[in-house]
Amino acid sequence: MKSGLRTIDLTLAGMFVALMAVGANITSFVPFMVIGGVPITLQTFFAILAGAILGSRLGAITMAVYAFAGLAGAPVFSKFGGGFASLLSPTFGFILSFIFAAYVTGKLIERKKSVPVYITAALIGMVINYVFGTNWMYMAYKLWFTAPEGFTYQMAWLWMAVPLPKDIILSVFAGLMAHRLEHRVFASSQFRKMNRAA
Amino acid sequence: MMDKMIFGRYVPAESVLHRMDPRSKLVLIFLFVCIVFLANNMLTYGLLTVYTFLMIALSKVPIRFIYTGLKPVLLLVIFTLFLHLFLTKEGEVLFRLGWITIYEEGLRQGIFISLRFFLLILMTSILTLTTTPIEITDGLESLLAPLNKIKFPVHELALMMSISLRFIPTLMQETDKIMKAQTARGVDFSSGPIKERIKAIIPLLIPLFVSSFKRAEELAVAMESRGYRGGEGRTKYRQLSWGLKDTAMLAMLAALTLVLILLRT
Repeated sequence: MKSGLRTIDLTLAGMFVALMAVGANITSFVPFMVIGGVPITLQTFFAILAGAILGSRLGAITMAVYAFAGLAGAPVFSKFGGGFASLLSPTFGFILSFIFAAYVTGKLIERKKSVPVYITAALIGMVINYVFGTNWMYMAYKLWFTAPEGFTYQMAWLWMAVPLPKDIILSVFAGLMAHRLEHRVFASSQFRKMNRAA
Repeated sequence: MMDKMIFGRYVPAESVLHRMDPRSKLVLIFLFVCIVFLANNMLTYGLLTVYTFLMIALSKVPIRFIYTGLKPVLLLVIFTLFLHLFLTKEGEVLFRLGWITIYEEGLRQGIFISLRFFLLILMTSILTLTTTPIEITDGLESLLAPLNKIKFPVHELALMMSISLRFIPTLMQETDKIMKAQTARGVDFSSGPIKERIKAIIPLLIPLFVSSFKRAEELAVAMESRGYRGGEGRTKYRQLSWGLKDTAMLAMLAALTLVLILLRT
């Protein structure tokens, strides 16, 4: 295939997008992650895992497909959101940032596969998610809503400081879990050995 | 929970908009998002509003569904209105009460910008209310086909989208099943300190990952054994057809654009 994607890559990416949909709405399945009344999404967690498990290139493609599937109206975003209107939401930047987060996380892990590298890569992925998403949110308020001077850059970041601690914990956890999955489950899995399609 | 997943955003009905080619609907929405910014006075905003409500009437989607889709963003629209009301300090003072002062320009800006946003949300919602995700995927694949020339994997992207659409309900059911199975084995998902709760994800996610990767593997094997080898020369089960109504709708939007350009100040 000229794109260099094997059939297994296509099915894996498709499946991972469905996994993201589950991760974004995990609280509807299990009530365990409502902390202080705020339901937690595992989107960043899964984006980091996509980069770590599928690799930088396929991970990034998967996250792009996730964004497209959501825009096409599949209920894959948090709160079973979706639809073309999500493009206008100020938080759409976070969904776009998953593409870069997965890519960078994957690239870092491809160099060296040790536990500290996994954790650092996961944290860097999360930082990308925050920096890109928050800047997008700020720009969206400025452009879409033409927010007046009173809405400052600091206000946008203050807003994002609240969920930061739980995302740090989840990212470290994502790094550890990716390492475990890689070495216990996928190292001996079939799809790593499958031949390139004609 | 399950009903939300099955329906997604699409509302089946017999209407012109439902029967339109997904390609023309995508082009229409894209152009609408651009021309919304042309409006800058009462008349042009009024025209856009009339057009949007005409589209809603044509779609025959019950208002109830449109309202449900709007609910989360309505707050944002109101927030925008108030942000402008209180923070823009230009023009004549219209109203003063204690520390609150409302200026003419603030009221104007607030109403126009929140109306613009409201119309954008309405039109984009109509697209996903009248078009199934799979139709949108087919439409996108066809519209983006020229990108194949610069080696952008359009067909592969569309296929990945279709696969994920097919497996979203399956994996959601699977998550439910795994959770019940692990609860039966004594995993406590709903109480305990945060650290324990995060740890409880492991017995949920590991089986989910393993089973979904197994599914991906089986699907790939099944596809290859049936002779799948990429997009080239592949025939389609769902055919798209561009009809008279698609051309008519686009012509109507073009006319609207022209009028907007003439009437804007």
